[in-house]
Amino acid sequence: MELYLQFGYGMMDHSRSLISEWGGGTVILSPRDLTDDQLGRFSASINRIPNGAVMLDPQFYLPHADHSRLVAHGYWPSGYSTGTFFAGPQLAQLIYNLRLLNDELGTSEAILPGLLATEITDDWLGTQRMILDEARTNTFNKPLCQTIAISADACRDDAQVAKLLEHAAEHKADSYYLVCEHPKGSYLVDDASWLSNALDIVAGLKLSGAKAIVGYCSHQMLIASTVKADAIASGTWMNVRAFPPEKFRSASEEEDRRRAIWYYCPQALSEYKLPFLDVARKVGVLNLLAPQTTKSSVQALFSGGQPSTIGLAEPEAFQHYLSTLKQQVGDSVKDTFDNTVLAYETLLSDAETLLKNLTGNKIRGQMRDFSEIVDANRAALEVIKVTRGPMLRRHWTSL
Amino acid sequence: MQSSNLIWIARAFPDLSNINLLGQGGQKLVFSALHPSDGDVVLKIIHPSQNLEGVRREILAVQRIGSARVPQILDVGQINTQMGPSVWIREQRIIGVSLRERLQQGALTIDELLRLGVQTLEALAEAERASIVHRDVKPENIMVDVSSNYWLLDFGISRHLAMSPLTPMTSPFGKFTLGYAPPEQLRNVQNEIDARADLFAFGITFYECATGRHPFRDGAANEFEIIRRVENGVLPTLQLPCKDANSLADLVSAITQKRRDHRPATVADALTWMREILNAQSSP
Repeated sequence: MELYLQFGYGMMDHSRSLISEWGGGTVILSPRDLTDDQLGRFSASINRIPNGAVMLDPQFYLPHADHSRLVAHGYWPSGYSTGTFFAGPQLAQLIYNLRLLNDELGTSEAILPGLLATEITDDWLGTQRMILDEARTNTFNKPLCQTIAISADACRDDAQVAKLLEHAAEHKADSYYLVCEHPKGSYLVDDASWLSNALDIVAGLKLSGAKAIVGYCSHQMLIASTVKADAIASGTWMNVRAFPPEKFRSASEEEDRRRAIWYYCPQALSEYKLPFLDVARKVGVLNLLAPQTTKSSVQALFSGGQPSTIGLAEPEAFQHYLSTLKQQVGDSVKDTFDNTVLAYETLLSDAETLLKNLTGNKIRGQMRDFSEIVDANRAALEVIKVTRGPMLRRHWTSL
Repeated sequence: MQSSNLIWIARAFPDLSNINLLGQGGQKLVFSALHPSDGDVVLKIIHPSQNLEGVRREILAVQRIGSARVPQILDVGQINTQMGPSVWIREQRIIGVSLRERLQQGALTIDELLRLGVQTLEALAEAERASIVHRDVKPENIMVDVSSNYWLLDFGISRHLAMSPLTPMTSPFGKFTLGYAPPEQLRNVQNEIDARADLFAFGITFYECATGRHPFRDGAANEFEIIRRVENGVLPTLQLPCKDANSLADLVSAITQKRRDHRPATVADALTWMREILNAQSSP
């Protein structure tokens, strides 16, 4: 499994430096956050990095959106009517425009536009098929990656997920870009049903022979290693670590961004505000939170001084999050399904033990604490072991 | 069956000899007999009240499948009987017992199980290739012959996926045997019934043969409880004395998943899997 960078606000420099540092990698571009000119220049700069690659998420989730930067892009249709768009020439024009743009940007795969499904209906599935069919009539000289964008309710519904997978098995794309809205807009998801179904979708797509990329992920999606996702995509701010459909509707979201600096503790699968690190230092457990590599950009937090006075900047915290996650992602998939599951269960158990210790010392990650999430992940994994385990175990090496 | 009727049958089918009644039900009369060129045969005389299109499709199913693990239909015709005009079918006779009768002696050995697995899946894979779903795989419809080979019988409620269904799409219940039919067949979701439904039924049959107990029927208070178990129950993992025991347990678990998209995509995939387990078992 790979970590892709989910582009978001303020990620240009992060992306370039991380892709360089990692010796390559893929950035999923966000037209919502980049103008046409920026898209071109930024893509070129990533493509110039050895093994650097870009993909373009058309972000056509809500076609009625009036997000000024998003709708200003040349590919965005000037008018959209639910009843006629997909049956008429407008779809062909959209796909044609995206083919040109993908060529211009030098993308590695072409992510196709996909509407957000509040419910997996025959109409929505029909639209998915029309998009894929239309794309196939164009000469994309690269793999086609179909977007599957679904609401939290759709993702929680077993029958809808089954319907989605049956359709995908009949109308296969080369790969899929899966984005699932989080329940209740939460950052970390404590709903085991949602999580197990998201994993089930990935497993179903993988077992059908397709590639599966999960977009808008936090470290919670490290669990996607157990269904052998090809990549998870994550980024800096919370709105690129979870899929909030509303951010594509209008441009008002930027103003709501919170500026707190969070430190990601990979062994606790949790993030902490710096004052909590101060407390950890005072009660003598700060070393438990330290990254297990001396190369970390946040090592200064653990050098003896009061963490909140070290002057850790936001970019360093983001770089740490993404580099650490990259390492965890890289280590997550093992030679067999069982070994991968075991590795993930060990990660969860170790995190749980550490979290109990930290919580006992009143060190909490608040809304980014994994304590309440461990059970959901464990339960979701149990579902996958029972329902998908036999097939994943059999086909693991060929997935 | 009165002896006069046997005499009448002998007259109506002069090429048959050694005719004996095998079974008699509301739907058909079944005789064993000897044919001069085909050897041991079964003669079925279908009751005129039966849906002729259903009978035609049953015959067509066997002919299209053409599996070496399904008794061949040798000849078909119509005859006037005391009950009225009836269709008759002459088919290859398998000398042996039904799997249900075999189970009365206890669970199958691992060698028997693997043979059952490969041979039944071979028949179902042939059906899959012909776009036919058996829809009623169960111990009563599998025979084991005197050479320990397994045969899949009775395509009476089989479904031709390329043809419109005979059961109304709107009917809340389709045709099935409770305890073997998968959830989608219980709910009669016609467009969801494909070869994976047979995989489920075969998986339950296999599980029953391996343990000597039916995982959903045994101990159930009533039919509703069986339905609940089919819809919600998870089979305990099979532990069999087999070289590739884990893989066999996985295969049975995979084919008995509640959701068809969790099962192997095709019967052919399951057959390949079962053959690998058999080969591992046979290897020194």
